[in-house]
Amino acid sequence: MSSPLPPASPTDAGPAAPGRHSPAAEFWRKFRKKKVGVASGLFILLLLIVAVIGPSIAPYPMEKPDYNHILAGASFAHPAGTDEFGRDIFSRILVGTRISLWVGFSSVFLGAVFGTFLGLISGFYGKWIDTLIMRFCDILFAFPGILLAIGIIAILGPGLGNVIIAVSIYGIPVFARLVRGNTLALKASVYVEAATTVGAKNGRIIWKHIFPGTLSTIIVYFTMRIGMAILTASSLSFLGLGAQPPTPEWGAMLSNGRAYLNTSPHVVIFPGIALFLSVLAFNLFGDELRDALDPKIRD
Amino acid sequence: MGRILFRFSAAVSMLFALTAAGFAQGAATAPKDIVIANNANFVSLDPQDTNDNISFSAEKAIYQGLLGFDKDMKLVGVLATDWVASPNAKKFTFHLRKGVSFQDGTPFDAAAVKVNIDRLADPANKLKRHSLFDQVEKTVVDNEYTVSVYLKAPFGAMLNNFSHPGAMMISPKALQDYGKDIFKHPVGTGPYLFKDWVTGDHLTLVKNPNYWGGPVNYNSITFRSIPEDGTRVAMLQSGEADFIYPVPTEQLQVLAGQGGIVVKHDPTVGIQYASMNTMKKPFTDIRVRQALNYAVDKDAFIKVVFNGIAGTATSCLAPNTRFYSPQTPYPYDPAKAKKLLAEAGYPNGFETTLWVGTMSVSIKAAQFLQQQLAMVGVNMKIESLESGTMANKIWNVADPKDATIQMYYGSWTPSTADADWGMRPILGGTMIPPKGYNTAYFQNKEVNADIQAGLDSADVATRKAAYEKAQKTIWNEAPWIFLSVPQNIYAYKDSLQDVNLLPDGTLSVYSLN
Amino acid sequence: MLKFLGRRLLGLIPILFFVSVLIFLFVHLIPGDPARLLAGADASYSDIAAVRSRLGLDKPILAQYLSYVSNMFHGNLGTSFRTGRPVVSEIGDRFMPTLLLTLVSMLWSFIVALVVGVISTIKKDKWQDYTVRFGALSGISLPSFWLGLMLMQLFSVQLHWLPTVGFNSWKGIILPSLTLGSGIAAVLARFTRASLQEVLQEDYTRTARAKGLAYNLVIWKHALRNALIPVVTMAGLQFGYLLGGSVVVETVFSWPGEGRLLIDSVGFRDYPVIQGEMLLFALEFILINVLVDILYAVLNPQIRLE
Repeated sequence: MSSPLPPASPTDAGPAAPGRHSPAAEFWRKFRKKKVGVASGLFILLLLIVAVIGPSIAPYPMEKPDYNHILAGASFAHPAGTDEFGRDIFSRILVGTRISLWVGFSSVFLGAVFGTFLGLISGFYGKWIDTLIMRFCDILFAFPGILLAIGIIAILGPGLGNVIIAVSIYGIPVFARLVRGNTLALKASVYVEAATTVGAKNGRIIWKHIFPGTLSTIIVYFTMRIGMAILTASSLSFLGLGAQPPTPEWGAMLSNGRAYLNTSPHVVIFPGIALFLSVLAFNLFGDELRDALDPKIRD
Repeated sequence: MGRILFRFSAAVSMLFALTAAGFAQGAATAPKDIVIANNANFVSLDPQDTNDNISFSAEKAIYQGLLGFDKDMKLVGVLATDWVASPNAKKFTFHLRKGVSFQDGTPFDAAAVKVNIDRLADPANKLKRHSLFDQVEKTVVDNEYTVSVYLKAPFGAMLNNFSHPGAMMISPKALQDYGKDIFKHPVGTGPYLFKDWVTGDHLTLVKNPNYWGGPVNYNSITFRSIPEDGTRVAMLQSGEADFIYPVPTEQLQVLAGQGGIVVKHDPTVGIQYASMNTMKKPFTDIRVRQALNYAVDKDAFIKVVFNGIAGTATSCLAPNTRFYSPQTPYPYDPAKAKKLLAEAGYPNGFETTLWVGTMSVSIKAAQFLQQQLAMVGVNMKIESLESGTMANKIWNVADPKDATIQMYYGSWTPSTADADWGMRPILGGTMIPPKGYNTAYFQNKEVNADIQAGLDSADVATRKAAYEKAQKTIWNEAPWIFLSVPQNIYAYKDSLQDVNLLPDGTLSVYSLN
Repeated sequence: MLKFLGRRLLGLIPILFFVSVLIFLFVHLIPGDPARLLAGADASYSDIAAVRSRLGLDKPILAQYLSYVSNMFHGNLGTSFRTGRPVVSEIGDRFMPTLLLTLVSMLWSFIVALVVGVISTIKKDKWQDYTVRFGALSGISLPSFWLGLMLMQLFSVQLHWLPTVGFNSWKGIILPSLTLGSGIAAVLARFTRASLQEVLQEDYTRTARAKGLAYNLVIWKHALRNALIPVVTMAGLQFGYLLGGSVVVETVFSWPGEGRLLIDSVGFRDYPVIQGEMLLFALEFILINVLVDILYAVLNPQIRLE
């Protein structure tokens, strides 16, 4: 069950390391009671399975056109209908699962790793380090995302990999600021002060006392960003900067399909449902995970 | 920096004023006031310094030229009643309409024409439409209502340049008074006066009570920029707009069935094509280029990409262009395409890359081509490039050998509707990047000579013969996959009169006669 | 407090200068020739050259930088390549619409987020919790262009209740702010809930509960105040983000704001406007961050402003 949870820091080896006193078993004991959490976890597992085997179970090749059956509605032959080229939408959704999940996971992961690192350092050390990092974040923020994306893609060239880089950069300052906010509060809290008095090293204090305290925020935001990342990729597709055709990335399917919103709604409804359910699952899963992971919450 | 801070606080206080004003305004519009929704922002109201059709559309309601196009793109006199071109195409004399004045009361006469042509012809003014008149040597006032323009070299298509919206007449007094700011204080001879312009939101014109051409249809015309296709359609459906353009082909069905709404589509003077870099393998081989023309089903292309609303390309020019001559189409014949490819040494096809812009309809077209070429073994990758990036990749190339362009999907709309501007910039040997738009790097001696011959004469028969020959050679040489002739699609309330979208893509809000 | 404010505001000047250099470099690094883009689709080579020289783009990059800096010191950001209007008025004209949309969207989404956060904390793991969370999460699980177009289809085309576009009537702001705010409401509700639950586990709220204070009062008085810290951070971020204008919502509803101006300017490589916009966003962000830091201190006296 722990596989969908990505490590939230470069040095964090295991997913279920919420704190000194909570081993993985304790986490699992609490988590399995949460029905919605388990259900959304299972759904994510299903998504991961589809991501792996999707291309081989798709009933049609995802790029195969059929000009005699353009924009056909749902039927037995085509469970989700066909698109503007007569391609099978169901097959494209299956193949697209891998692409959309990959964009979501990898871009958020990159952003979270860098952002968390910066946030911890900034909040803990304060002074000029804090100023420097926070101003750096301000600059990143002030660079409008669209402009940054155009810049990156113009310099590196179009394609999915560069979309991931562009989307991950959106996330760095967000994670940094949130983690810093938590770090500030934790630094003032009783047990960190105690640790400082005892004479623990800074690295150890950050790692053992502050980082676990920020974890719930990171997880909540991590799961939510996955959905946002997929949506951001879709708005890049909308600007022609996303996945290159005929890649069936869900966001691209949605933005290309919006022209048919009031004539052949199935073109956007099915990819939309896939996207909607996936994002919802990640969000709910994140919530429940947080409840179970937080060392301060006891039952 | 101080100014920004000031803006910040001023904006906050104005916000409340604005909210209050917003509540006071109602949505009540009198029937004589119309709203036109288009897809982009206005840039300028100085026609001589304009290069976008949206701005031209509003300018054409305010200003008029010596000549103009009627709704079928036929050349008609507007401020000139008749005109004479010298046989060597170097002198053009115009007799002007009498009793016309500009909206500020300045009389329209030969002196006013001279001021305008001089302004356009002077390179120091750096006007965007200078090139229409860069061949002008001098302009001479013959008498109060006669003016002659002399060219440095013969130019057969010059009358088309006079009818271009970029050659419309601005009040000399306004030019004097406003100087560089003329673009936001337009004064012409047309039926509508400028009222206000909020950038990014709307532009309003009102009736010119002293219009020389008689009564004006509408009390006011408001243009609104609505970039999203679905939103424009919704505005017409909800009654907030009286006229919308362009209408995306996917939405035709939605509007067509609705009472009180008219949907129209007319052919443009544009042409859509996929160019092949004729200096790069495998496109150096004419058989490969012809093979790709046989490999694409144009009827299916039009059906799938444009919902059936487009014409088949039957030459490198659109049928509405002057001196167009139809060619025998390349039929859809994948077997023949494969045979030609095999003869050229590509029995298993080859790999290539097509560059395309970011508009969804262009990407759709690119995907269709990709699917079609795959069937004859050609593996075409699509690279969809944002406009600035694309411009750089195409035109930042000094030496043709360094060009990385292979295939390119594009369209060309000659704003003069003449064969010269329809061919020279995209297929002329002097117009390979960075000089021009010849993305096929097509250089054919015969075609170059024919284009030059057409340019050197004002004689219709000579020009016709030259352009017919050129079109034939180009069609056979196949530097492009010849695809389609796009249509202007627009929709309006059936109560609306005299608002037309012309084949050159500009709007006309009154009839010229 | 005043000293803190003064120092932060003074500190703005070098930052903005540094940012402006970065902006200039970045804008000029992006490939694309403004002269060619501005000259239009069928401009001749000489037209393009004329545009280039008129815009001063034929000058060396250093000279362009110097004129940019000197413009900046004169409090003017140059003139738009595309329209010839001063950048200050181009950006200024778009500021009010964006601010209005941002304020309205933030206001309703913040209130909704607090209500949802509190309900789902009180009724944790009950159906009420899941219902409000599903509702809130739906807002962020849909692409905003899709949500906007659907709302428009329903309320404007079918029901005729609201205009499709329109900055010129108060009704016109309802649909864009609904579209824009739904995502924010979802994010903020998430944070309110997470943060409230965390705070409720802490010693002092448990003490308060042990003392017999009514449960609801505990939530409102103690917990919410402390729980607001991450929520305020998030709201600040969102606010700053929104002030940059939302390209998608502004496009769908033809709202004449900063987002559309930016995307149009980028399309034409209108350097002065892009630079002006980015400078404005930088300024807004820094000011908002100062505000957020102050709010931290107000909400949690344990944090001292350094």
